[in-house]
Amino acid sequence: MTDKKIFPKSLSVLLSIILPGLGQVFQRKYRSGISFFIAFATAFAVTLWYGKPIWFIIPAVIWIWNIWDIVSFPKGKGLVIPLLLWLLMAYGIGGQVTEFNLQALFSNFSRSRDMVSQLFKFDFVQPKAERIEGYTDIQSPCSDFPPAADHEENGVRVYVVQTCANVGDVITVIGEGFWPNQLTTFYWQNPIGGKAMATEATSDANGKVTLEWKVLSIVHTTAPDPTIPQIHRIKVSQSRPIGGMELSAVGGYIVQGIYETLALALLSTIIGAIFAIPFGFLAARNLMTANPVSTVIYMIVRTVLNIVRSIEALIMAIIFVIIVGLGPFPGMIALTVHTVAALGKLYSEVIEGIDPGPIEAIKATGANWLQVARYAVIPQIVPAFTSLTIYRWDINVRSSTIIGFVGGGGIGFFLWQWIVLQDFRAVGSAFVAIAVVVVILDFFSAKIRERLV
Amino acid sequence: MLKVEHLTKVYPGGTVALKDLSFEVSDGEFLVIIGLSGSGKSTLLRCINRLIDPTEGKVILDGIDVTASKGAELRHIRRKIGMIFQHFNLVKRSSVLTNVLNGRLGYLNPWTSTLGFFPADEKKRAMDALKRLSIDDKVDSRADALSGGQQQRVGIARTLMQEPTLILADEPVASLDPVLAHSIMQYLEQLNKEDKVTVICSLHYLDLIQRYATRVIGLKDGVKVFEGSPAEINREKFKEIYGEEAQDVRATALE
Amino acid sequence: MQKYKPFLKALRKLLITIVLVVLIILSIRVTEPDLVKLVSSFPKAESIMGQLLSPVLFDRESEKITVSQMVPVPCDSVPSLVSADSGPRIILDPPCGSPKDVINLRGVELPPNAEISLRWILPDGGLLSIKNIMTDDKGEIDMPLEIRPITTATDGKAAQISFEVTLPNGKLVVAQTLKDVIDAMFVTIFMALIATTLGTIIAVPLSFLAASNITRRGALGTGVYYLVRAFLNIIRSYEPLVLATIFAMIVGFGSPFAGVIALSITTAASLGKMFSEAVESIDTGPIEAITATGANRIQVVMYAVVPQIIPDFLSFTIYHWDINVRISTIIGFVGGGGIGYLLSQRINTLQYSQAGTALLAIILVVWALDFLSSEIRKSLV
Ligand SMILES: Nc1ncnc2c1ncn2[C@@H]1O[C@H](COP(=O)(O)OP(=O)(O)OP(=O)(O)O)[C@@H](O)[C@H]1O
Ligand SMILES: [Mg+2]
Repeated sequence: MTDKKIFPKSLSVLLSIILPGLGQVFQRKYRSGISFFIAFATAFAVTLWYGKPIWFIIPAVIWIWNIWDIVSFPKGKGLVIPLLLWLLMAYGIGGQVTEFNLQALFSNFSRSRDMVSQLFKFDFVQPKAERIEGYTDIQSPCSDFPPAADHEENGVRVYVVQTCANVGDVITVIGEGFWPNQLTTFYWQNPIGGKAMATEATSDANGKVTLEWKVLSIVHTTAPDPTIPQIHRIKVSQSRPIGGMELSAVGGYIVQGIYETLALALLSTIIGAIFAIPFGFLAARNLMTANPVSTVIYMIVRTVLNIVRSIEALIMAIIFVIIVGLGPFPGMIALTVHTVAALGKLYSEVIEGIDPGPIEAIKATGANWLQVARYAVIPQIVPAFTSLTIYRWDINVRSSTIIGFVGGGGIGFFLWQWIVLQDFRAVGSAFVAIAVVVVILDFFSAKIRERLV
Repeated sequence: MLKVEHLTKVYPGGTVALKDLSFEVSDGEFLVIIGLSGSGKSTLLRCINRLIDPTEGKVILDGIDVTASKGAELRHIRRKIGMIFQHFNLVKRSSVLTNVLNGRLGYLNPWTSTLGFFPADEKKRAMDALKRLSIDDKVDSRADALSGGQQQRVGIARTLMQEPTLILADEPVASLDPVLAHSIMQYLEQLNKEDKVTVICSLHYLDLIQRYATRVIGLKDGVKVFEGSPAEINREKFKEIYGEEAQDVRATALE
Repeated sequence: MQKYKPFLKALRKLLITIVLVVLIILSIRVTEPDLVKLVSSFPKAESIMGQLLSPVLFDRESEKITVSQMVPVPCDSVPSLVSADSGPRIILDPPCGSPKDVINLRGVELPPNAEISLRWILPDGGLLSIKNIMTDDKGEIDMPLEIRPITTATDGKAAQISFEVTLPNGKLVVAQTLKDVIDAMFVTIFMALIATTLGTIIAVPLSFLAASNITRRGALGTGVYYLVRAFLNIIRSYEPLVLATIFAMIVGFGSPFAGVIALSITTAASLGKMFSEAVESIDTGPIEAITATGANRIQVVMYAVVPQIIPDFLSFTIYHWDINVRISTIIGFVGGGGIGYLLSQRINTLQYSQAGTALLAIILVVWALDFLSSEIRKSLV
């Protein structure tokens, strides 16, 4: 230790002044040298980017500390303070640029409690029911010659005695041909199809239901000019349970979404795995670095795999959605491409890790490249490949839950719609469905992989 | 100094590891426990410093009932009992120095030591202990960078930090080769003779027993089947302790 | 029984194959792969890919220069100045005139085929537009100019004829897009950093609760163990992006914060699982040894447990930071902020070359961090 030639100290100090860490490197304290350099360089880059002058104190202090380190510390133990400073900067600036604000979480949380409570009112199934419905169109506000508000269909007649409605009027809505003694829902639909008012009444023993309904100004809020008469519609309906349960509308979409998600994951995994096999071989160092041509191929394939792997499937999905249009297909292509890259890399690692003994033996018999691969390599790699593929399937199931956010199909597509429409019950239900499916698949895939090893 | 009375240990699975075991150890003794694998040697040693709670019976050390104590009192008893392990039980990723200093934890302020500070005089004490075992040149190495014999010496240094009056050694040389085994046993002997530390040690090799023990206790299925001086152990006794089948193997160890 | 074994094995294989084939067929039916469409959209793909692969990095800086020439009206009202004889300039023939005269105006050494707006700068400083004119291939203009009475020199100051041209000066400058991308990339890296830190802080206690050798003691412990495990598994089943939607609904869309919270939670869950496995695999020897020295519980944890798990914990954390950077490149899609947001914006507005810049940045950063993190992890073991 003592007989190592130590670089002159004064020169090291100078070097460290010019470039933090350089002096340490010359003093053979490589670790602390590189650490100082990285700490200084990153701190400087970040403060430069952030632009607030006050933060420049941090790289400055690191720089001074680096000089002091070389002047007086015998063993490079002075890294703690720069590290703390660095962390202070990273979290200080990081917190600001990511708009980190825990308070926002809690203050908004209480505000959005309704939303959260809705999340837990799951909407998968509803009691099976049969419905009977009728409607009538009605003009509002009244013109000089309003059309009659009377409509009959399938033996169900709905009419309004006053024929038309002004805001503030009390109209009499009468429905005939309904089930007797049954709760009946009245529903006012404005001209653009939105729900303006709703109420309930009970039908009499003859199946006739009568409602005195006050027309509120809300029915005109969507009209550009509430004084122009327009055709609205009053819908009257009854529904009664007939026993048993059925999927609700949301439940139906969830089933469809999950089905798509699983299909996406399965197809992209299988197709991806098939394509990944040749790439795995081409990217395996031990097979490819024998001659210059194959070495070049090896390097190209490796690079491409690395590049593609670093782009998330979701990003590829946006591009493929633009190219081939909405639906599960672009999602599947994106997932497949990403799978090829990720599995290709993993496969190549498996191939690199195999026992070279059999390869030598088969080569010695005069076998060619293909034969070596077939008889010495494949028997060694099949279980590992299978295990990795199943593992990838796991990941793909998860990924395909979000690929729909950009129009790539699967449950994510519906989830995104529901989030935009703020249908929190549906959102909550989708969350539950995702967790159940993924946890179950996780469990089985772990079991299968355990058996393979 | 140590009195073991009617000690019984039944493991949760129902295994009876010790059955109504009683014996006494006086100051300065070098007591060796022998017995087949699974006979309860480790269990016995661990009952003495309460790493294992015995099911029944008492362990009394210098008049204090170890089996009844708990909390700070138990820790104070433990810090006077050093323990040496077959697999050394060093913290592999910590340095040799830290491993040795760990032996002092029972004496130190719990707060500062929790934060990783050790007073300078403790560090000096640790260096002295390492010097005594002649491995002070390895003080900054990671524990797993050491050979088995060196690791066991670090283990002994850790024990020295406790300034023990009693050392429990659980097969201290079972994972070492015979030459190293002797050197480690010599350190224990030195502690026994020079520092007047009582030693209770479990061993398998008869030559070591006869060379170092002042007294021997034989266990079989948790029952004491022999107690006496090492000279009293002959083939017959050995067969009795180690069982008929083991005779041939052990008989060679006897020569 | 022995005789049937190979038969049963073959049957099982057959069954698995059939199930797989059925599943694939079903999957193909929902996914509707449309190879015709894929092929027919190839030209479109080609143009998009071409743009993506030519990212905007630099712009050629151009300078705006004002070319002007004094016009004494009438002649000799002010001493006429010698005009420049190189560079973009205006040549008047004759060099002065009286109101209502028509003189010839030539502009030379201008950028070819550029539109320039000719104007008068009046003696009082007012501006008077003349007309917009295109330069020819040689970068010249040649037109008649009528001298208006308003341009008459006053107080010894003459009017000027003037226009601005932008001349590329050949200097390369960093394109605005690249600046935006670097900005967004910093935000992304910070999102990952903060999420990883928070996630780790939450994961540490959770991992001890989910470690069977520490927690699974007694009815209460076993209950806690299974509860924490189940919790971790459920959270782990969500992509961070899915959770981000929930937090975006709570704290509002458009802030990176929602993404950070979501990422922290998923990080906590998966690190919690990994940490707990590290805790479960620790060596109990040192714990025994240090307990035997009379150390208290906290000291035992500090000196026997912590040194064993710290390298694993650090290594997992760094590994996860790496993953988180990758995920934060897309978390902006729902929360806003970061490179993902920028990327989706550029793609939605069909600015593919600019999207290419963002992609390039993602590739470089992910790659660099991948390398860095694996190097650090190697040195930790
Ligand atoms: N934690 C435990 N739980 C249940 N049974 C145990 C436990 N530890 C030891 N035993 C059982 O108690 C008996 C005595 O074990 P002990 O370890 O004391 O034997 P030993 O004499 O030290 O053996 P060896 O020479 O192999 O170390 C054995 O039958 C063993 O299986
Ligand atoms: Mg034992």
